[in-house]
Amino acid sequence: MSALTEIKSEGDWNKHSASFPPTTLQIIYFKADWAAPCKQMTTVLETLASSYPVTDPPTTSWICMDAEEVIDVSDNFNVTAVPFLVLRRGEQVLETVSGSDATKVRTAIEKHANSSSTGGVNGTSITPSSSTTGAKSFSTHAPTQQEPATAPEFSSGEVKEDKEALHKRLSSLVKAAPVMLFMKGTPSAPQCGFSRQLVALLRENSVKYGFFNILADDEVRQGLKEFADWPTFPQLWVEGELVGGLDIVKEELSNDPEFLKPFSVAKTHNAPVKESPLPEAA
Amino acid sequence: MASQTPMEDTMRAKIIETLKPSTLEIHNDSHLHSHHKAMAGSTSQETHFRVVITSEAFKNKMQPARHRMVYALLKEEMAREGGIHALQLRTRTLEEETKQAE
Repeated sequence: MSALTEIKSEGDWNKHSASFPPTTLQIIYFKADWAAPCKQMTTVLETLASSYPVTDPPTTSWICMDAEEVIDVSDNFNVTAVPFLVLRRGEQVLETVSGSDATKVRTAIEKHANSSSTGGVNGTSITPSSSTTGAKSFSTHAPTQQEPATAPEFSSGEVKEDKEALHKRLSSLVKAAPVMLFMKGTPSAPQCGFSRQLVALLRENSVKYGFFNILADDEVRQGLKEFADWPTFPQLWVEGELVGGLDIVKEELSNDPEFLKPFSVAKTHNAPVKESPLPEAA
Repeated sequence: MASQTPMEDTMRAKIIETLKPSTLEIHNDSHLHSHHKAMAGSTSQETHFRVVITSEAFKNKMQPARHRMVYALLKEEMAREGGIHALQLRTRTLEEETKQAE
């Protein structure tokens, strides 16, 4: 799964910029640590990044920069407000998204990721057998320092978010991907039997999803229980609505095996995401 | 004669009183999880349960709503330190139970 990398200086940016293969979709996020919406957007992007496999050459590259630290780069890209997202391939800017609308950001990224020349299948990052872009097998992968998933640097130790800010953050987070799994651990290293089973179920159904490791962020862990009015994890959210835990997902699938079909990799392969009959379009 | 299973007893009593189930199975799976890191330091033998409930109270309700009904009943036990850590639920109506048995 991909990680969001921070670039701290113009020099570093220039080096990076020169090294991108021409087909890589560059997802460049400008932020400012003093701006509250950026906290949310960072978490959303880290989570989204985690659902894209690391490939060689890279299909996607996720970069974040402090807009004021790299002022020349920001000027170059006409960054006038934060959070600000630039999507680029090679030297060509494809699209920019200003502001903190998570759905808008996600849609823009998916649109361009799916139209890349490699046929850009961003399969579930933990399905070695069904992935078509040579993603590595993560089944024996142990979590490392680089493991993204959540925003550990934003949990305890940071200023205590007040209720409303947390609520907003959670609202964004549950919509970070069409299918979002809040679990204990990560898909490559689940820390709970129920989370592991749910990951396996999603993999069996070739579902493309984003995940969040609630063990790495206690604020989200407790906040989400209240927000969702649901005391347990794992939690599966679809289109910003809570479906339930392992039991419910199993039950839904046994009643209707096509239940997660609209979100499967097989369906979105080589087709723009918009074609899927997503409930929110109705 | 003190009960060895106070948590299970409480659960049974509450569920029967509120949901009047035609089927109620409470399985204690705690021993399957006692070696987990999260359970280190726990003295309780009643932490993980799998409960099967058939009740007409679930009629016309979606699964998340049904589970929430049970969570609401056991809110205190789940929030309590050393209380219920995990709860697997199977919530069906009599019609669904019959249908699934076919």
